[in-house]
Amino acid sequence: MRLALLGVVAVVQFGLCPRTLFGYAHRPMWLALTAFAALGLVTIACAIWVLRREPLPTAVIAVGTVVALAASVAASAALPPDEHIGAGDWPLGLVGWHLLLLLLDRVPLLLTALAAHLTSSVAQFFLAGGTDRGRVGTAAIIVFGAVTLQLAVVVFTRVLRRSTAQAVAAAAERDRQAIRVAVAEQWEQGQRAVFAEQLGEVLPLLAGLADGELDPRAAGTRQRCALAATQLRRLFAENDDVPDPLVHEVSACVDVAERRGLDVSLAVSGAAVDVPADVRRDLTGPVATTLSAARTRARVSVLRTDDEVRVAVVSDAGTGLAAASSAHVEVECGVYGEHTRMEARWRRTS
Amino acid sequence: MAADELSAVVVDDHPAIRAGVIHWLSSGTPPIRVAAAGDDPKVAWVGDGAEADVVILDLHLGGPAPALGELRRLVQAGRHVVVYSMRSDDETALQCLELGALSYLTKAEGAEHLLQATRIAALGRAYTPPSLAGALAGDRSASRPALSARETEVLVEWFQSESKDFVAQRLGISLSTVNTHLEHIRVKYAMSGRQAPTKAALVARAIQDGLVRLEDL
Repeated sequence: MRLALLGVVAVVQFGLCPRTLFGYAHRPMWLALTAFAALGLVTIACAIWVLRREPLPTAVIAVGTVVALAASVAASAALPPDEHIGAGDWPLGLVGWHLLLLLLDRVPLLLTALAAHLTSSVAQFFLAGGTDRGRVGTAAIIVFGAVTLQLAVVVFTRVLRRSTAQAVAAAAERDRQAIRVAVAEQWEQGQRAVFAEQLGEVLPLLAGLADGELDPRAAGTRQRCALAATQLRRLFAENDDVPDPLVHEVSACVDVAERRGLDVSLAVSGAAVDVPADVRRDLTGPVATTLSAARTRARVSVLRTDDEVRVAVVSDAGTGLAAASSAHVEVECGVYGEHTRMEARWRRTS
Repeated sequence: MAADELSAVVVDDHPAIRAGVIHWLSSGTPPIRVAAAGDDPKVAWVGDGAEADVVILDLHLGGPAPALGELRRLVQAGRHVVVYSMRSDDETALQCLELGALSYLTKAEGAEHLLQATRIAALGRAYTPPSLAGALAGDRSASRPALSARETEVLVEWFQSESKDFVAQRLGISLSTVNTHLEHIRVKYAMSGRQAPTKAALVARAIQDGLVRLEDL
């Protein structure tokens, strides 16, 4: 838009104005020529930034505006007396275009400067004795024409800017949506991978039972079934939206064990804290293993203090429990008399 | 009626719970005599109830708020109170200890803990059941007393296992040492916060037993 405006200014100034400038007898001629040259310099100064597609520096705008307004006054003063706001009044339109080029982004300032420029032209028109009714009418039409065209450019620019901004916003929104879709797809894939990983325990078990390779009466098979059932329930609980997900998942494990006829007591202490999903998995995994190995009773406890979360199962599971610590969660397992203790411990500070 | 027989008064708004508690107490060995029972705290202040060694108090007597005011009045009168509550939230439990209750039991904890708590409370001593141990271990309040690493471990293990034998075995200490640790912790709690006759008595007894020294106070 600014580039087009620069073209208009250049064409008007260097194409159309010289003929008017030299076609009429200015008094004094040097003043008119100086004003024309000053306006020319403003055009060239603007061109330096406009051609590089950079915004005009504030200093250039300030100096340019002052120079343009001064040139308007000077050039009008040098006009032949009967050519004010007439065919010979070249600064009337030209200075308007300059102001437009300089102040397109600052509409209130632009309107003020244009008003100042027109006021000065009109004032000089009356000072030069333009009181004839016919001349006033013609002058009004010329001023109206020049102002309307230039204001139309301002309005047009605003509209164009607004639609550009809307288009940019729409494009950004579309990009955001695309990213969201990509993230959701990735999350879904991740979930599938996690489910497949966890179901990995279940599928060979079901296959073995279906093929008759595994004996459903064998204690080992029953324990594997118990473990698979507990893991599945824990997995389902993992995606529930609840205020205290850790206790929710532990309760799910306890629920399966109770259905199996186990006498389980669950105790929770301390206020709920945020536990990341992978840490929860590491904390509740050993609970599922121990509960599925327990024979008749178990005590499950969740303890949350300032700096750690401890999930423990004390049961009659006997020996042979394997417990693997993970990167975040320390798992400890031991047999003390008739009690088997398993504790998963997450230090929140680490 | 033997002169040294313990007696208790049961305050609970639920008739079935009342009947159950009375049955547990009277069928314990040795049995604990139930002097009075009712749904109103008045039974602990008039008649036989006023003479009972222990008050077993339900915190939720029909009203929306827990009966902490009743608890405070009973403790101020020097009564030995065991709170027996439906609610297992740690904050209420700690509040009851702060007011001077000798024990806080949740209704999920069975006859064994209630009988022990009642017997021990009759002597003016504190009993710490596993759920209360959990509440103490998870206590994050600024005013909590400083516990040693071993004391914290005893609380945690007792909460996790509900078995003092297990705690003793696991930590390689004797059963009486486990009890001493629990008692010591309760004395520390009794020494912090507001004053109450039962708490003062707990501390005095701990000094007599050599559990704490006078200069620790």
